Amino acid sequence: MEENKNLTAERSLEIITEQIERSQRTITKNSALPLMWWGVCVIIFAPLIAYLWKNHGGPIWNTLWAVMWLIGFIGNWLIDKKKETVPTTFVSKTIGHVWSTFGLFCGGIGILFCLIGTGVLPLKLIIPNAYIFSCITSIISLCFGMSTCITGRIIQNLLIQRCGFIAGLGGFFTALFFSSYQQLYVMAGVTIIALIIPGVVIHIQNKK
Amino acid sequence: MFQPLDPLLHAELRLAVMSLLISADEAEFPYIKEQTGATAGNLSVQVDKLSAAGYIEVEKTFKGKRPCTICRITDKGRKAFEAYVEALKSYLSK
Repeated sequence: MEENKNLTAERSLEIITEQIERSQRTITKNSALPLMWWGVCVIIFAPLIAYLWKNHGGPIWNTLWAVMWLIGFIGNWLIDKKKETVPTTFVSKTIGHVWSTFGLFCGGIGILFCLIGTGVLPLKLIIPNAYIFSCITSIISLCFGMSTCITGRIIQNLLIQRCGFIAGLGGFFTALFFSSYQQLYVMAGVTIIALIIPGVVIHIQNKK
Repeated sequence: MFQPLDPLLHAELRLAVMSLLISADEAEFPYIKEQTGATAGNLSVQVDKLSAAGYIEVEKTFKGKRPCTICRITDKGRKAFEAYVEALKSYLSK
């Protein structure tokens, strides 16, 4: 790109658009590995916890989710270190905020339910009306789908938006048909649609 | 009526640098070089011009043991870029 005194208004606009699109493409490109990594974490841990819950001592095994978060963050940190250095933009910051809010809400719900499940907190303190049916997998699936869908909208990727929508609504209603450890298989399915498929597709698109 | 275009921004490479920095908190010199496809020498000259005009801030630091140049847009630069885009509109709407 050399200095050009005969730069037209159209070319100027082209340069501005090109640079903005280029930086958006880099953010999309860099999102593939974290999506797949977190997806793989959930796909390994959800059936593992379901198996242990069913065969070895009940819902206490849900505490393994904390281990998954720890492994997930370490892996994510390593991926961040290896990927090309990209400046922090408004778009990347917004995506970060969306997923940290998801983590905060789901983590909060998870901790409360774990405290109820282990008897540390009485059920009536959190859910005063016993007739209200509360399905944590439905709630998390919905949050999951919404976060994926918002990410897709921010980076203007239709596939991610569709996957988020299907995973969120599909997971919300499907989880209502199952109980206890079986819901974890629904969670694994939601993860495949919300994280793995978008991650793999972006990865393939990057390779082309 | 055509509005005058800021001559400092009305150059391909400087405009590309400003377009990159407008949405980023800060960017390292190699990243800008890669994104704009410019040579290090040419980019360095244009970055100096933008810096001298107060449109960007240049910080020379170290990343581990390696020197690292970080560029970030200033408020003056942001306003100049906005004014440039506004002026550009008057040309495009004709």
